Amino acid sequence: MTVRLETPQRREDHRDSRRWGARHLVAAGLGIVGIIALIALRATTAESGPSGLPDAAQDLLTLSTSVVIESLPFIVLGIALSILVQVWIPEAWMLRILPMNPWGRRAVISLFGMFLPVCECGNVPLARGLVRRGFTIPESMVFLVAAPILNPVTILTTHAAFGFDDGILVARLLGGFLIANVLGWLFSLHPEPESLLAGRFAEECRIDDGHRHGTRAEQTVDLFVRESSILMPALVIGALIAGGIQVIVPRDVLVALGSDPLFSVLAMMALAFVISICSNVDAFFILPFASTFLPGSIVAFLVFGPIIDIKMLALMRTTYSTRTLLRVTLVVGLLSAVLGLVVNFVV
Amino acid sequence: MWSSVQRWRGVALIGATSAVAVWLAASGQLVLYIHPRYILFTVTMAAIALVLVVAAVASAASRRRRDDEAPVSRGERALGLTAAAIAGAFVIGMLVIPPATLSTATAQQRQINATAADLDALDDAADADDATVARFTVREWSGILRQTSDLGFFADKPVTDLIGFVAPDPDDPENVFYISRFVITCCAVDAQPLGVPVHQPGWQAELPVDSWVRVSGEFGANPSESSLQPLVVLPDAIEAVEQPSEPYLF
Repeated sequence: MTVRLETPQRREDHRDSRRWGARHLVAAGLGIVGIIALIALRATTAESGPSGLPDAAQDLLTLSTSVVIESLPFIVLGIALSILVQVWIPEAWMLRILPMNPWGRRAVISLFGMFLPVCECGNVPLARGLVRRGFTIPESMVFLVAAPILNPVTILTTHAAFGFDDGILVARLLGGFLIANVLGWLFSLHPEPESLLAGRFAEECRIDDGHRHGTRAEQTVDLFVRESSILMPALVIGALIAGGIQVIVPRDVLVALGSDPLFSVLAMMALAFVISICSNVDAFFILPFASTFLPGSIVAFLVFGPIIDIKMLALMRTTYSTRTLLRVTLVVGLLSAVLGLVVNFVV
Repeated sequence: MWSSVQRWRGVALIGATSAVAVWLAASGQLVLYIHPRYILFTVTMAAIALVLVVAAVASAASRRRRDDEAPVSRGERALGLTAAAIAGAFVIGMLVIPPATLSTATAQQRQINATAADLDALDDAADADDATVARFTVREWSGILRQTSDLGFFADKPVTDLIGFVAPDPDDPENVFYISRFVITCCAVDAQPLGVPVHQPGWQAELPVDSWVRVSGEFGANPSESSLQPLVVLPDAIEAVEQPSEPYLF
């Protein structure tokens, strides 16, 4: 229970909520009619037979649509969890369970994914919520990097695909944990962590620092509007670029490089970057390649892919600055390549 | 205008994509884009999104002017509007262009049989009975062909009613085509084309590329001189069929 103070803001809310009536119902009705109209439009246009688009354009649309449709539920889940963290869960809960020591804090944060089994695109809104809730920026990166790998769904699917063969599962989990913590440590050395954020997001954090407007329901709707307004264009554009590159770059170029210890690792990282597939299922995707590619390159794919790919960069750009993302890409890329090489030469 | 674009672009995009997802699921076409195991999850989350969209529209009726919008530079504003316009155009495409499967353009670009889909296919086929062999899809046959070219193995294993779309063999497009399917692990993005080569000189006169066919026949040595496939299906019967409702293999 919280103590309710009668502030001018609250009084206004109160008056507002009393007026919750005809106008809101009409607006809600219009919203529903709008959605039905969209579905009706889709149903009628589907009857019109083949579109007559050239094959490549049609495939671009199909591929990009499939990235959007695949990511959509995870984005919604991520926004929902982010709202939960920011509006409904008392602040003290999340910060109380964390150790005081920065290494310990980051280590615990990198295991958050075990309780929040969202794949990487859903983690972006969640990480934004954590920063607004007082997590440091390097800590948000630790979460973003580790959570898609150290999460129950990913562990189950990777185990289902590879078992304990060639140390792929163990290397993926340990590698994800280590890379996340090294990255968090590196960025924690930054003198002005706020400059790591994208300008607009930093501004938003500064402005909504502390004071909140309206009832929890209003805050929920407001956050949904704001998060979707930032993430959805990024998702669609990331999906378009990912689809476009797939239509253009022949895949056999990548596959041809598969059996060289060094080039196989780089080729697999390039494939992971292009394909932008979700970490929960990437193990199944890469399984057919396991017969032609060395195990280290598979590990590099499984560690690099969840963190850095076209779709993720577009989504993360909503939160971090371009320079930050270049550095993250560089660090994660180098560490994944080293990890892949170690596995190739040791196992 | 900027502030209403900024405020409503996300709601519009998420509402339209969720509406499309719900319609695709209702008309059984969601499998053109994602693996069936995600259908329930996708529809549930799309429904939640639609409820929130309606709530957002309803709350607009009482929205007070907010003074907490972050100031935005002109360049960022232009960038934001462009991004919203591109995303909007794409989503309109999702709404008005009929859903379609991937075409042979992608099959060629990804190279048919570049990866092995089913590494256990050979072992499984070795002691399979006739009824099981008759049910083999492109996935099983291409897995077997990848692992053996011993004709003896195929002696009592005819191809029965194999369904797929037609894609030319790049090495001998006159005489050989692949009867192909895409295999999907997550969504159409990761679709891997698999195919079984069929020897039928002059096939292009009757069978358009990308059309769906049903083939029965026996495996035999490939009579083609330029094709790289050692074994092909020598067809007894090829007939045109409708595209199946689940065109991909999962």
